[in-house]
Amino acid sequence: MAYRIQRLPSSTPLIAFAARVIAVVLALLVTALILAVTGHNPVELAGEVLSSSLFDSFGLQDLGVIFMPLMLTGLSVAIGQQIGAWNIGAEGQFYAGAFAATAIGLFIPAPVWLSLILMGVGGFAAGAIWILVPTLAKAYADVSELISTLLLNFVAALLVYYVATGPWHDRMTNSATPKVPAEIPEFWGAIHWGFPVAILLAIVLALVLSNTKWGYEVRLSGSNPSAAKYAGIPVRRHLIMVMLLSGAIAGFAGMLEVAGTVHRLQGGISNNYGYIGIMVAVLARGSLVGVIFTGAFMAFIQNSGIILQTQGLTTSAVLAMTGLILFLTAIGEELSYYRVTRDRV
Amino acid sequence: MDLITGLLTTAFLAGGVLALAAIGEVLAERVGIVNLGVEGLMAMGALTGIAAVTATHSPVLGFLAALAVGAIFGAVFAFATVMVKANQVLCGLALTLMGTGLAQTIGRSYSGMPAVATFEPIAIPLLSDIPILGKAFFSQNILIYLIYLILPIGLSYLMFYTRHGMNMRAVGENPAAADAAGISVNKIRFLYVTAGAALAGGAGAYLTLAFVPSWSDGVIAGRGWIAVALVIFAGYRPGMAALSGLLFGLITALGFVGQARGWPVAPAFLSMLPYLGTLGFIIVPVIAWQKMRRAMAAPAALGEPYYRNVR
Repeated sequence: MAYRIQRLPSSTPLIAFAARVIAVVLALLVTALILAVTGHNPVELAGEVLSSSLFDSFGLQDLGVIFMPLMLTGLSVAIGQQIGAWNIGAEGQFYAGAFAATAIGLFIPAPVWLSLILMGVGGFAAGAIWILVPTLAKAYADVSELISTLLLNFVAALLVYYVATGPWHDRMTNSATPKVPAEIPEFWGAIHWGFPVAILLAIVLALVLSNTKWGYEVRLSGSNPSAAKYAGIPVRRHLIMVMLLSGAIAGFAGMLEVAGTVHRLQGGISNNYGYIGIMVAVLARGSLVGVIFTGAFMAFIQNSGIILQTQGLTTSAVLAMTGLILFLTAIGEELSYYRVTRDRV
Repeated sequence: MDLITGLLTTAFLAGGVLALAAIGEVLAERVGIVNLGVEGLMAMGALTGIAAVTATHSPVLGFLAALAVGAIFGAVFAFATVMVKANQVLCGLALTLMGTGLAQTIGRSYSGMPAVATFEPIAIPLLSDIPILGKAFFSQNILIYLIYLILPIGLSYLMFYTRHGMNMRAVGENPAAADAAGISVNKIRFLYVTAGAALAGGAGAYLTLAFVPSWSDGVIAGRGWIAVALVIFAGYRPGMAALSGLLFGLITALGFVGQARGWPVAPAFLSMLPYLGTLGFIIVPVIAWQKMRRAMAAPAALGEPYYRNVR
């Protein structure tokens, strides 16, 4: 009998899940090791993080506040993945949505309910507009969306920074706009009604993708574009729609951040949510319902960074750890295609 | 006249970062590997440069240390993408997050501190006295000559006029054929991905030792991504990569001049120019010059992992 290592054409969800768990655990171990070497006590820090985020009502609310934008940016990236597009620009679309929502909230006088609806529509539209040029460039000129979407992140960040410190700045703070009057009501501490709306959005989109003709065509266009084209599916039209939808969702996340959590526009409001959203989508393996869970996990990781700040560590360390998780996940994903088989001689 | 001299001098200086990083990315992409980790590699290189120069007071040692750190991270990336054949996009993004996060974490103690020694301009006698162009071409720091002359010419020769260069390009175009011809695909890919990453690390050190010159959290400011985009614009050629870097240096220099002369445009909008310019540069040529498409096309196997036994 001899053992043979074989790469199979597909991997099973269970093994892919196991590979992710191993990747995350390894990344945490490496981080703990580095912390220990640099003179911290990782066990104590872990205890601190767990007790002040999961076993504390305020901690859980903080977690929820980070969870919502992360889940939505993750959903945005995961939607794009359905048709084989990498939206690395969720960060910029988030800014664009926050920008539009603030503009509507500050300058269009309306009753709160109407203002919130307008802000929501504005957030969706701004996110879609922000990804419009990369979308058309990909659809009609085959320009890779990876870099084009990313470049606009910097433009959006500069734009928001400019208006928040320049023409729209508040006289008191100088670094942010005045308070946006329309606020999404809260139902539990800091958790507002945008929360269930966001989760509902993920579930509805998942159902649409798995149960409608449109969803089927989109998934086929993503997995085998030439076969889809041969079958008469309008691949290009689906690509444009899905990418715009991806941008719109990230823009909506930006609107919720302004209307529900921060209540004003400020530089850096996006908080790397767009980039970590990629991580959320990758961990979920492109599953739209999966992002609800992986979004919660990544929110926990990010929140740990904020808690560790009080212990003299920087949030950048969490960014590095996020990168390490992504790196090991990518390796784990590839290795999950391999099987050890035993053949009889 | 002073305006043109100033613009050109700054253009060479500012473009050097992008040119060096783009040349590095050309090496990786020519053998078929997309490295989206340039931004992170540059962050690590920038920090290494500052840290090493603080310890040794030698900018040359700082630059060499940054090359080494870039190579180490590049080797890790190459292990994942070439040996394990993990997804290149994900590994690249991961490298960007790791490099940026790590550099910011370690770099806290160097934040805002100017480099204790930098690469100073060296005026070449006589030539630097040529009116208008002399100062821009012949009174620059030594890295400028490395980036705009030695590397592009040397690498172009290597890639297009030697047997080894043919092998290297074959690996990026058709790895299966290269493999059949007896070329070790993995070895060549590993080598050039690592070398390209070393140059990205060097580009970071160029920023902190010759251009800015100090370390701060956002010092890279997306230059790594612009460099990746420039490779497409440069048609995957080292010489064109250096020239595109220079062109972007010119755009940056225009922004500086605009700020210094008080043009009625907010600095934030001038800062957007390089990003919007890059976006235009990767979209417009594809539409405008259809005939150039084949000459400027990406290596055929770019982004594709190579499995020997899968057919």
